[in-house]
Amino acid sequence: MRLFYLLILVFLAAFCQGSLVTVFPFLWVNPDLVLLIVVFNAFLKGSREGALVGFFGGLFQDLATGSYIGMNALSLMAAGYLVGLTQSKLLRESSLIITFLVWLSSIAAQLISYILLASMEVYISPGVALLRVIIPTAIFTSILAPVFYPRFYKSCRKGMLRNRNI
Amino acid sequence: MFRRGNTRKYLLLGVLIIFIIVLMNYTRFGRAGVSPVESALRDVVAPVQGLSINLGHRLRGLVSFPFSLVNAAKENQLMKERIGELEGRIYQDEELRSENERLKRLLDFKTVVAPQAGFNTVTAAVVGRDPGNWFGMITINKGSRNGLKPDMAVINDQGLVGRITSVNTYTAEVLLITDFRSGVSALIQDSRSPGIVEGTAGYPGKVRMVHIPIETEVTPGQVVLTSGFGSMYPKGIPIGRIQELGRDSSGLFNTAEVIPFVDFNRLEEVMVITGTGAQAGGVSALPDPWGVALNNSVAAPPTGVKNPAGSSGVVGQ
Repeated sequence: MRLFYLLILVFLAAFCQGSLVTVFPFLWVNPDLVLLIVVFNAFLKGSREGALVGFFGGLFQDLATGSYIGMNALSLMAAGYLVGLTQSKLLRESSLIITFLVWLSSIAAQLISYILLASMEVYISPGVALLRVIIPTAIFTSILAPVFYPRFYKSCRKGMLRNRNI
Repeated sequence: MFRRGNTRKYLLLGVLIIFIIVLMNYTRFGRAGVSPVESALRDVVAPVQGLSINLGHRLRGLVSFPFSLVNAAKENQLMKERIGELEGRIYQDEELRSENERLKRLLDFKTVVAPQAGFNTVTAAVVGRDPGNWFGMITINKGSRNGLKPDMAVINDQGLVGRITSVNTYTAEVLLITDFRSGVSALIQDSRSPGIVEGTAGYPGKVRMVHIPIETEVTPGQVVLTSGFGSMYPKGIPIGRIQELGRDSSGLFNTAEVIPFVDFNRLEEVMVITGTGAQAGGVSALPDPWGVALNNSVAAPPTGVKNPAGSSGVVGQ
């Protein structure tokens, strides 16, 4: 049931993400809300569940995009897996640590997307990709981490996303 | 029979009763004036009355304060609910007003600009947007059921939006001109210099015009239009205005940063050009940038500059 709620959350995040720029015109890139949830969950639950939620989260995004289906699924799965490796090695309550992890994993996920796009002969100049997409996305996404992480953590401990392992 | 003292008492009582009756009669309701004595009495009594009434009010307020608190809390709650409701109504009205304005502009375009430009259009609402930052794609709520096909041009009242890349029965995917995979054959309105307008990754507010011949004079502020080459976009659709100039890495062509006329962050309704016909007259009277753009798309090229667009008029897709 927990996983079901989590996937609903991821689905809603993927659904809302597209309209963020419309609602907040000062944003010139969309923060990656799905990655945010994937990283939070992987940080608390480990690499296995991190990869699983990352895969489905990315798949939702891909389906919303309608093209290059699998690109986000792979990149978010990798991000979820990598962040999951830090489970129980770092302080869970720290917003600073999770912010840094979100920033790092966002860069990693976007770089993987960039490489996957290049492998499909979609060429974007590395400078443009880095300065206009990868870094701004990582910054905007990591800014949101300390806002949402305490709620997510609380929900994992006492709320709908709770289970015995936490 | 009566004692003398008692007789006096009864006499006094009688006099008093008569006096009161006379006084009552004298001061009855509806008489013409007030005697000086009465007036003086009232003037003396009035402030005292006022003080007592004021005190009474205060005491009443003090006594009823705890009860009024309960009522105030209820009233406050009701007021808050009412304010919330009214605020909601204001937002709703604002939203309706904004939607009304947008639809009015779209209707004006559909009934005035599109027929004069010779466009047959289908209006659609934007129902989805690419959630990522790599691509610029939107989903619209019209599909093959409404006669839409891939590669049809998509516009709004401000200018060129993009083209349809895939069509489902009820929806269609539109590739925005800001997507780095998009390339639009274009020309600069004043100099008629050709070029390609392409999107740039992660930059939804700008496009880039490349392959502009080096010998042509390009200045900021010039308007860029579709050239009609490539048979995908009809000729004369406004794209944007040149903001900044540059030279490409080979040094053989000019490049220009172009600010699109369309606000891609606020796209809510678009029109798909399903077919084109002959332009009607009077296109110069159309609202900017369409009037200027369409007027120029049929005008002769400036002297000494080769018209890259070839034949005049709108090219069908």
